[in-house]
Amino acid sequence: MALEGLRILDFTRLGFGAQATLICGCLGAEVIRVESTRFPDAIRVMPPFVPEPGERGEAFGAATLANATGAPSANRGGIFYKYNTGGKRSITVDARHPKGLALLKDLVAESDVVAESFAAGTLARWGLPLEVMRELRPDLVYVSMCGFGHEGPDTSHVTMGPTAQALTGLTFMVGLPDRPPAGWSFSYLDHVGGYLGAIAILAGVIHRRRTGEGQHIDVSQLEPATALSGALLLDAMLNGRPSRRPGFPSGNRRAHPPAAPSGAYRCTGDDRWVVVSCRTDEQWSALVGAMGAPAWAADPRFATLVGRVEHADDLDAHVESWTRGRDRYEVMDLLQSVGVPAGAVQDAADRLERDPQLAARGHYTDLGNDEVDALPLEGVPFRMTATPPHTGGALRRGPPCLGEDTEAVLGEVLGMSTDQVAALRVEGVLS
Amino acid sequence: MTAPLDGVRVLELTDESAEYCGRLLAGLGADVVKVEPAEGAPSRHIGPFLDDEPGPDRSLAFWADNVGKRSVVALDDTDVVALCAAADVVVHTLRPAQAAARGLDVDALHERAPGLVVCAVTPFGQDGPWADYLADDLVLMALGGSMAACGYGPGAGGVYDTPPLASHGDQAWRTASTYAAIAVLGALAWRAESGQGQLIDVSAHECSASMTEWHLMTYLCSGGVHRRGPHPTLTAADGRQVAALNPDFLGPHVFAGMLRMLEDEGVAGELSDPAFADPVHRAGNYREVWRALKRLAARHDGETLYRLGQGAGLPWGVIRSPEEVLDDRHLRARGHFVELEHPELGRSVTYCGAPFVAHGSPWVMERRPPLLGEHTDEVRAQWSAGTPAAGTPAAGAPGRAGAAGDGDAGRAR
Repeated sequence: MALEGLRILDFTRLGFGAQATLICGCLGAEVIRVESTRFPDAIRVMPPFVPEPGERGEAFGAATLANATGAPSANRGGIFYKYNTGGKRSITVDARHPKGLALLKDLVAESDVVAESFAAGTLARWGLPLEVMRELRPDLVYVSMCGFGHEGPDTSHVTMGPTAQALTGLTFMVGLPDRPPAGWSFSYLDHVGGYLGAIAILAGVIHRRRTGEGQHIDVSQLEPATALSGALLLDAMLNGRPSRRPGFPSGNRRAHPPAAPSGAYRCTGDDRWVVVSCRTDEQWSALVGAMGAPAWAADPRFATLVGRVEHADDLDAHVESWTRGRDRYEVMDLLQSVGVPAGAVQDAADRLERDPQLAARGHYTDLGNDEVDALPLEGVPFRMTATPPHTGGALRRGPPCLGEDTEAVLGEVLGMSTDQVAALRVEGVLS
Repeated sequence: MTAPLDGVRVLELTDESAEYCGRLLAGLGADVVKVEPAEGAPSRHIGPFLDDEPGPDRSLAFWADNVGKRSVVALDDTDVVALCAAADVVVHTLRPAQAAARGLDVDALHERAPGLVVCAVTPFGQDGPWADYLADDLVLMALGGSMAACGYGPGAGGVYDTPPLASHGDQAWRTASTYAAIAVLGALAWRAESGQGQLIDVSAHECSASMTEWHLMTYLCSGGVHRRGPHPTLTAADGRQVAALNPDFLGPHVFAGMLRMLEDEGVAGELSDPAFADPVHRAGNYREVWRALKRLAARHDGETLYRLGQGAGLPWGVIRSPEEVLDDRHLRARGHFVELEHPELGRSVTYCGAPFVAHGSPWVMERRPPLLGEHTDEVRAQWSAGTPAAGTPAAGAPGRAGAAGDGDAGRAR
């Protein structure tokens, strides 16, 4: 695997940081999560919970950290299973215990990368500031990941994905004209930040191979987002056309390049939709043919792309009058068969149970652990011919139960005997 | 200081769907050369244009994703193949049949250059029942699941009367491009060990399908499906919206800070009742909490409200348009925005810069987007067959088979 032999000491929590290390794990890195039994990662103990066989769990809507005390165990928090594939291992160490801190220092000395996603200054308070880690491992690649990063005037700000999405323009870009932004209902930036965290780790490792030097790379959730608005920023600065203007954002319509029809159209079923997007006259003609050449489509207003864009409201109403009585997948397959870009609006259930492409590509890998039966989990969404990534990482296994690898890691990495580990456990160091 | 990919040659043969990958690799120091037809890459003809005047060197869409690259106009496919053979990495957006027709299939390329990393970014990947389907970003956002979860909540009677929405900014393409950059870095790390190239197969659909946070897990755990609807927002005195997530999400202790702020502002009202210290009581009377927050919001503009909330430990953020991000003091202090000269226009342009602060290998952002064919002669001279990759051995640059380093410093002991 591409990163075989690379060891990452992983102090990440929640989604953002863990997304970065899961990517590295899927590429073959050995990822050792350092955890705590007393302060478990919140996503281990908040709903939705992976149910016992035959039971239904609780949906995310009810989730707050305040009700996390009701967790059945530290190993059933569903969201943990989204962000901790890649064959990650889990150890528990009490960093406040002097012997615990000493263990962490020994592990830093044996690691290529330290990744963490605490608030700025947390690791330093534990006794692991960068200077100390560097003494232990002079060529260490240290990647910190938190909302505002470790440097700058607002590092104390508290963020979750939606906070950073609001501040960076992402929330603004989703909405219908002349209404408040709808935004994203999930933390897209936990993913994007994590992707850039993975790039930081990889860049740091490659740089070290070439120069022998380690470094600190500080990843925030803000910078990875700014380039996602594409040309909107340049259009505002250079053409004096701000995005905050009447009519923008324009729902599912796009001015660049122009397309019409372009949007989501209602189909049969409860809140079921299909997307259709025509940029060319050829695609428009094919769409008209697929619809059975209805009389309205011959309207001269719709003869050119410019006309179709100008009269998009009428056009959309007509297209929807055709899709409305049809199944979204049937519309998609029919239109694709004649060369019109189209796709069903799929939800998570559809992706898992109705999407033949994801199934054929092996997008999901069934993985479990001692407490949870195998679930169809996700890793990295690309293939490599010489070094195939695997959602179970180099170890080909599911997300770890809390602390399940403590003894194995201390033995393999630090050469400790079973008796030594047992003694530490009795002293409360491994909690 | 040396950049991580200093001297690594990346040849880019893509449409607009994967240009962001090359932009990221250029930022890491790679020599990214965009190979274009005589009329220019498709994105040069996508607006908006500078001063709304179309032209291959005036597309702002092109500028945004091609800053830091060089441009070569290729004569024909033989020319393109020769350039590929002189590269370390090829990123393209060709489907298998298109690549084969142009002599750019991976077997043909590896025959000439076995160490070549070939990264193909396509809507659905190299195979599968939908492999030949057509997609733009909108189609991929629909199939991937983001759209189903973005938009306005249901209207009267619980019926959704507005459609699911996709974000502007081509987010499915950007996610695919970012994953492509990750895979290329992984392949380069492997090549440094093995000398081997390989084919990377990026399916934008799979990328788009894997970025909806907890939604798959909710379905697996509860059988329920996440439906769309905005996060809660407060409307400030200037009409701006502030994302104001329920503070109890962060834990019950956060309420104390919020109450202090509301009392300082004299708008706490009923919330000062000790009963509200109990999270269960709050959860049952959240409407009262929200009323107090609305009273606060009516007193301040959006940016001030955002900072007030943050001062009280609340995860609030004012909803900014992309251009309003430019004024953010934190991003400015981190040196995020970069001015690049466009000498032919006699002006400089501000770009979003480094996606992170790398202390040992700063992000490379020195070249403005290339004019069409601007570097054709220069690149031909530098990349002519048989010449080792650019970069000097003293700077640790690799030879042909050893891009991205040749030591074993990256191995665990």
